[in-house]
Amino acid sequence: MAPSIKDEILEIVATVIEKEAGDISLDAHLVQEVGADSMMALEILAALEKKYHIVVPEERLKEMTTVNKIIQMVETARKRG
Amino acid sequence: MKNNELLKDRIGIVSGGTRGIGRAIVKELVAAGAKIAFTYVKSDAEAKKLLQEIAAAGSEALSFKGDVRDYDTCRDFVEQVKAYFGGLDFLVNNAGITRDKAFMTMEKEDWKDVIDVNLTGCFNMARSCIVTFLKQKEGNIVNISSISGISGIARQVNYSASKAGIIGLTRALAQEVAPYNIRVNCIAPGFIETDMLGILKEELKDKFRRAVPLGRFGNPQDIAKTVLFLLSEQSNYITGQVIKVDGGLHTSN
Repeated sequence: MAPSIKDEILEIVATVIEKEAGDISLDAHLVQEVGADSMMALEILAALEKKYHIVVPEERLKEMTTVNKIIQMVETARKRG
Repeated sequence: MKNNELLKDRIGIVSGGTRGIGRAIVKELVAAGAKIAFTYVKSDAEAKKLLQEIAAAGSEALSFKGDVRDYDTCRDFVEQVKAYFGGLDFLVNNAGITRDKAFMTMEKEDWKDVIDVNLTGCFNMARSCIVTFLKQKEGNIVNISSISGISGIARQVNYSASKAGIIGLTRALAQEVAPYNIRVNCIAPGFIETDMLGILKEELKDKFRRAVPLGRFGNPQDIAKTVLFLLSEQSNYITGQVIKVDGGLHTSN
């Protein structure tokens, strides 16, 4: 079975933040609780854009606070095509 | 590498591209193989002529009428450039104005106009480009400051302040984005033969000319060639610097 979008995104986030995917709770605040910074958020965004062939406006960066919210954002962007 | 390949197929923006130093920069970069989008505010005729000259030479450029002091205008412009050329590799912040006056007669509008265009314009353009550069982990910014921003020039309190601000912006931003393979440098032209210098009295021009060790005023190409150097791989290990291009006028910091 192909990995779910949730697992894929969690893997990308974990790689950028340099943590184990299993240690990142889906609703944990990435900056306040997981230790990410704004540049990491940007790297996550760049990786998502490349992987899913989507374009996310820069303004959406500040909404990328948890893995769940990132998943939501990617799904919306993919529907928009 | 030949000069006409230094920026082969690179895509870049030059603010204030129709006149003086900006025009020379646009032409130099196009001749080096770059695809250039330039901004201007008033000079419709000059912009059209420049586009024609570039087309006649078999290259492509894009013009955009808009004021760099407006943040949203800059954002729009950058998005348009990316959509049109399919990417963005570098930015040259050149747009600048003067409102020279004795300080006691300088109005707050004279101050605000010069700071807004020269310094805030740099912020607006750089901020509009930086996310693209960060994402691609590649980018290059060259800001045009002035000798006036290093040593100060009487009757240019506003201009000197704006150009000194550009130097601070350059140094701070260079440190911040260097880990992302983005270089930020700044050029401080001395006396360059442009409209800006043309407004000086002949007497004063002679005095200034005699003060230049190389014995002549610079021409816009002297600056354009330095921009090309800073944008090309030839300067790969240079960032956060202020390069004085002034014929030897200032030989220390």
